[in-house]
Amino acid sequence: MGKKDLASVTTDLSALASMMPTQRPALAVAPPPAPAPRPAPIAAPARPAREEETIQFSLSMRKELRKQLARLASEADMTMRAFVLNALKEKGLSVRDDDLFDLRKERR
Amino acid sequence: MSIITIATSKGGAGKTTIARLILGRLALDGLPVAAVDADLNHTLTDWVRAASKHPIAIEHELDETRIVPLVESLHEAHDVVVIDTAGAATQATIFAIGCADLVLVPCQTSSADIVEAIKTVNLIKSASLMMKRSVVARVVLTGYQPNTNISTHVEAEIAKANLPLMRARLNRLVAFQEMSFTGIVPTSGIAGAQCANFIDEIASLGGIPAASKLAS
Repeated sequence: MGKKDLASVTTDLSALASMMPTQRPALAVAPPPAPAPRPAPIAAPARPAREEETIQFSLSMRKELRKQLARLASEADMTMRAFVLNALKEKGLSVRDDDLFDLRKERR
Repeated sequence: MSIITIATSKGGAGKTTIARLILGRLALDGLPVAAVDADLNHTLTDWVRAASKHPIAIEHELDETRIVPLVESLHEAHDVVVIDTAGAATQATIFAIGCADLVLVPCQTSSADIVEAIKTVNLIKSASLMMKRSVVARVVLTGYQPNTNISTHVEAEIAKANLPLMRARLNRLVAFQEMSFTGIVPTSGIAGAQCANFIDEIASLGGIPAASKLAS
């Protein structure tokens, strides 16, 4: 990888920069960055194993939308149920990996 | 071998989120990437050192007299250097703009964000004039909520102000917020797709060396 020539940047921009505030006073009083206290990593909420009831939920939509949903889910190699839940996960719903299991296979 | 500076004089507009997305995705693709964190809050530095699961070289530097030499030095060993600046127009911001092949100006959907984006783009134009070379700049809409009146209004205001706007949008997504805790840049779902589109557009703007562009 070659070295980029940035030698003229400081010269060219010194006049413009001189009109701006500097961070150097802050630098003089600020200690070098120590690792900040970190919040705990995000984790899925604890769940009593398989104790939570699974309920049925139905929704109606135009036939064409239902066809599109089936096609998109098929293309993603997912059930329509998993596809919808996955989309809702992106919107903030607390969907876990086991929520995406194919329940049809469990019944076989 | 390119340098991407992320700048706006508005705090909380999404500068560090954008830096994380670019650095994380390019590192995942195997590119040697480095970052200069010129923000007093050193949020990017903390993320890279404590949370990030990606190989990213990071330097925290507030002293404007050291920004250019530091970038020059990092640039020798890395394909892409990202400079994250403070949420205010400072001397360090000017020199970071001067180093850049591409300046990204994040803008959320608020009036104050647009005002500061306009000021920042004007600053980039001034720097371009003084250096006698054009610096490519693009406004990036962050925290975007599609199909809302506010987003439509902000897009119209940005067009009215004649600001150069990226096609890619970064929506207000949980996955982007989770990234600050998990250190993992999203690669799947809507967030992963938005991130990929974003990187593709940066590549098309010359922000990523041609030989290193992500396979899309």
